[in-house]
Order: sequence, then C-alpha cells, then structure tokens
Amino acid sequence: MTPIVELRNVTKHFGSGRDRVTAVDSISLDIEPGEIVCLVGESGCGKSTTGRMVVGLLPPSEGQILYQGQDIASMEKADYQQYRRAVQIIHQDPYASLNPTQTVRQMIVTPLLRHQTLGASRNGGGGGRRGRRRDVERRAAELLEIVDLTPVSDFLDKYPHQLSGGQRQRVSVARALTVEPKFIVADEAVSMVDVSIRVSLLNMLYRLKDEFDVTFLFITHDLALAKYFAWEGRITVMYLGRIVEEGPTPRLITDSRHPYTQALLGAVPEADPELAKKKVHIELRSAEIPSLLNLPTGCTFHPRCPYHVPGECDLLVPPLDLIPDGGSVACPVRMSEPGQIV
Amino acid sequence: MSQSTDLSWHQDVEENGSRPPLSLQDVHVSYRTRKGSVQAVRGVTLDLQAGESLALIGESGSGKTTLGLGIVRLLVETAQVSPGKIIYRRDGRELDVLSLAEGPLREFRWRDCAMVFQSALNAFNPVLKVWDQVWDTAKAHRWNNREEVRERFLDLLRFVQLDPDRVIDSYAHELSGGMRQRALLAISLLLDPQILILDEPTTALDILTQRTIIDLLRRLKEDLHFTMLFISHDLAIAAELADRVATMYAGQVVELGPVEDIFYRPRHPYSLGLIRAVPTVTGGFEELSSIPGSPPDLINLPTGCKFHPRCPFASERCSREEPGLEKVGDNHYAACWHTDAVQEDIERNGLRGKRRA
Repeated sequence: MTPIVELRNVTKHFGSGRDRVTAVDSISLDIEPGEIVCLVGESGCGKSTTGRMVVGLLPPSEGQILYQGQDIASMEKADYQQYRRAVQIIHQDPYASLNPTQTVRQMIVTPLLRHQTLGASRNGGGGGRRGRRRDVERRAAELLEIVDLTPVSDFLDKYPHQLSGGQRQRVSVARALTVEPKFIVADEAVSMVDVSIRVSLLNMLYRLKDEFDVTFLFITHDLALAKYFAWEGRITVMYLGRIVEEGPTPRLITDSRHPYTQALLGAVPEADPELAKKKVHIELRSAEIPSLLNLPTGCTFHPRCPYHVPGECDLLVPPLDLIPDGGSVACPVRMSEPGQIV
Repeated sequence: MSQSTDLSWHQDVEENGSRPPLSLQDVHVSYRTRKGSVQAVRGVTLDLQAGESLALIGESGSGKTTLGLGIVRLLVETAQVSPGKIIYRRDGRELDVLSLAEGPLREFRWRDCAMVFQSALNAFNPVLKVWDQVWDTAKAHRWNNREEVRERFLDLLRFVQLDPDRVIDSYAHELSGGMRQRALLAISLLLDPQILILDEPTTALDILTQRTIIDLLRRLKEDLHFTMLFISHDLAIAAELADRVATMYAGQVVELGPVEDIFYRPRHPYSLGLIRAVPTVTGGFEELSSIPGSPPDLINLPTGCKFHPRCPFASERCSREEPGLEKVGDNHYAACWHTDAVQEDIERNGLRGKRRA
C-alpha cells in the first residue's frame, strides 16, 4: 500500500550562519492509511516542527514530504489544495487556536461553506442556496454531535470564552472535520486539558479513526498518553532532531532498546505507588540536554549515555537499523540487548 | 549531593513530638468578584505531621493552590480567609498565622514555611543575579553575615546537584528550566524552614528533568525528613512522593488517607474516577474512562454533595445532603454517602479497567 504520508530524509533548519539550528535532522517516516503513529520526545526534539511540516505549515529545508505518493513541493495546484484539505492539525492550546470573536456556529459553518464539501454548487439558484445553507447547518450539528458537544443547541451560539478547555478542544476537532480530513496531526492536543477529561477526548479521537478512516500523527511528550492512544499503532521516539527508536507500541514500551528510550521509560513518574517503587532508573552521565546550537558529534546522546563507547559513539552517527522484534533502533551498541524497565 | 554537606539542622523537627507543625481548622477562602463570591476553599481541616509529605491532588479549580497560598498568606487582596484557623507550631511555640502582623508574618514566611512556586522563571527577578536575590532574602531576614550566607547557599546548590560557582552568578534566563527549579528549591531551603509547600513542582518540565527533581524531593523527604505539602494535578507526583494524599474537589478535602489506600482502596468516587482516568506507562494496557461533566461553577455550587452531578454512584440523597469526612479505615477518611458501593465496584470491576496484553 502507498503510505498516506511519507517523509524522506526531511531536515529543517532555523536561522542562519552561526545561529543556525537543525530542529529536524534527516528523518524518514512512512505512515500507512488508518495507522496511528505517535511522535514522542522532550521539548526541542523536533516533534512539533515535524508535525507542522507534515501539514504544510513549514517547508522542509531538505528532503521530501509525500502525500499519497506525491511530493507536496511539486504538486499541481488542485492536488495541493486537496492535500491541504485532507491533512489537518489540532493545536495544543485551545485558548489560542480559536477565534475569540466567532461563535462555534461561525467557526464550523464558514469552512463548510468555503470548501464546498457538501457537493452543492456555490452558484446554485436562490432556492438552492437556501437549501445549501440548511444542509450546512445540519452538517454543523452532526459534527458537534460527533465530538460529543451535546445537546448541540447549547453550544452553537457560544463564544470560546464561554467554553472550558476540553470543550474548546472538541470545537477544534469539529472544525478540522469540516473538510473531511484523511489525516490529522494532533500536536499535544490533550495536554492542556484536565486529567478527568483527557481520556474522553482521546477516546473521541480514537473513534474518528474507526468511523472516518482518519490516520493520526499524535505528537506528545507524555509517554503514558502515547501508550494509551497508540497501543495498536507505533511510537517513534525523537531526540535532538533525530529518530532514535521506533516500533510497535507494546514492544517499545516493554522491550525498548535505545538507551534514551529506556531512560525516558525509567524516569517517567507513574500514577501507581507500587509501579513507581519497582522502576529501574537509568543513571545518565549528564543531566543537561545539549544545546541545539552546539550538538555533540556522532550519536547526539553519547555525552549522557551510560553505555557510551569512546571512539565509536562520539564519531559515527548511528543508522536507524531494523530489529527482528519490530521497529528500528539507532544504537549499534545496545540494539540487541533486551530492555528491562520493570 | 556530597554526603558530607551539613544539613543536619533539620533534625529538630522530630523533637516536636506528636504535635503537628501545621494545623488547618475549618479554613474557608473566598474571592470577591463582580459576579459574586467564588468559594474556592470551603472548610478544610487538616494536620500536617512532622516529617510527612502530604499531596493535595485535584483538578484546576479544586482549591488546592488557593489553600497553599492561604497558608503563607500570599493570596490576592480580593481573597478573604474566614472563617478558619491556621496554627503553626515550632519549638513549643504556637502561632496563629491568620492574625500575624506584617513583621512576624515575614519571619514566618521562608524561615518557618517556604513555598516553591510553579513557574520557576517568574519566581526570579530577571534583572538580578541568583546570588543578589539570595543576599537580599538573607538581609531581609536580618542575616547579615555575607560569607556565611554565601557558604550556606553554595552548600545548598551542591545539595540540589547544581554547579555552585556557575549558578550563583547567573541570571535566571541563563539557566534551563530544570536548573531554575533546583535553584529555587535551594533558595527556599536557605533559612532552614520547617515546612516546604511545593506548588506543581515538576509541571512543565521534561521527563528526565522531572526525574531529577523528584529524586531530589525524595531525598529531602527520606534523608532529611522534611515536612512537605505538595500541590499537584498530577497523580504521579503523589504516587512517587507522598505519604498521605488529600483529594480535593470544589474547595473541600473529599478523601484523605495513606497513599496506598488512596491509590488501591479509594472510597470516594472522585478519587476512583481520577485513578481510572490516568494511564500508567509500564503497567500494560488498561481501559480508561473519564469523569463525565466538568468541574462545578464555584459561584453557584450544586446542592448537597458537590460531586453528585458527575458521580456514577449518586443517589437522591446526594443532591440534598452534603456528606462530611467519615472514617473508612485506619487514618483513611472519605466524604461520600456511598463509600460501600465504591468498594463493591472496585471488587467487581477491578481498580482500573481490564488489562489487555
């Protein structure tokens, strides 16, 4: 099958000269239709930059991004518009991503009218236009039901400031759905929402995968959420702009191979006192993350890595190699050692 | 930390015997707003025992931060603390915190009870070097021996695993988030406080940085027996660091107990709901469910039990009568009419949802 989205050696630099940073360094990633891929990593690892490039909000500095096999940089106008419609993003901060002067109705109805997704002609006759308006209103109500903002009549005329964070995020999702996307980039989409609400948002997003065949690139710093959302998908771990490990979620969580993945899994606080006590913490050689302005040579994790082999790790950039248990690991030293976290 | 660093000054805590260093008695806090009075904290009674770490958990708007700020009297002017009493004890003396005058209040803050704020960047003055702020603080508390203060602070920086010579002459913006948080912790310990209040100490930090802070706090707890009050929306912080947990909802403590009881034998539907809503990382796959509805409007609170509109166990009685904290086990209290039903539900369905794989 053709991947719905494919990244080929994608690199992104910001700034120039001495101030140039490489936020994303030659990453490649195939995402099949219907898949859930989670991008995890700490701040500055390039996960959001990657997401923004996939949606077309940032052009890559090098490499290609393909949508359904076509390079988005050289698409015909009509194909490009179709791609931009099909690939949507849900941002982290629902307080910043919704227009405060628009009601929920306006936010949903405007794109429905603009994008002609209901198959009606924009230049239809008088009665047709009214009929179309009715269709659009009906569709808006359906979308709010899909995102569980019910009863719909309670929400249509609300402004963002009248909604809670979770409700706003649902509006963002409904707004993204107006153009019937095939692919959604969810960038820390539930991080700012209260814990008691998070799971219902995640479950709602998960339902979109089944009901509308939406493919997800789920970006998060929270490994617990990644595990929950992508249990049947894959997790890709990024560190300082590079992919260090990826694989099916259960394998990556229970048997991680890259020392960085192991350090993350060992460090993450657990909402369970027994698990918290049982955890094996990996002692790093340095607690500080290197600056993107002055990246270490070779494997960028080597100054912190407890398994660092001098003369090897600090010289060669480790390739991302396939492992038999599923996925791939960028660490020749440790790739065949079984991971043990609990 | 170099184990030789002298931090034994802290041991006096245990000599206080059984009297808790901090007692909250029926504390209420409300904020005046144009729309009415926001009842942020409604009748919290709580003892903080010497050497224990207590976690206040709850969602935004549950009143946990207001309560923390109330203890050190740092609430905004529109806030009113009444009725209620906050009693602080040290070396046999007893202070009524709410009636302290400005001078003694300044003594109480930092020297007796220090608070570490959520946003480490905002807690620093951006135009002063770290040392200048430390020196200001020491002088304000009439500690004027510059060499002594510097020595003490360098020790503390070593204790929080920072490079002391580098950090002491830095501006806050020159430090990373984790370094700032650790520097702030070091400053909070400067005057040898008896109690530390930590508001979301690891929120907004990266995972590996979070771990260094958690390990540091655990050392304060286990090696130095600090009395600590954690305020967090993150259950994991409570699981990692607390001896006791108080779950707050709509301004009240709805459940209070040893950490193991709250996490494995919760008796309040809200505590159970939180546990069932939070995934673990290494615990295999579990089905999760969220709590329906959203937190209550603190101006127009629901009648009866404030949780009843969201509660799967609610009965007619819950909408009429508000339950108080009742004993449900050793040192374990819950404010719910249906603690037995909660227990049965856990026995029948397991604590968390069914596990896959």
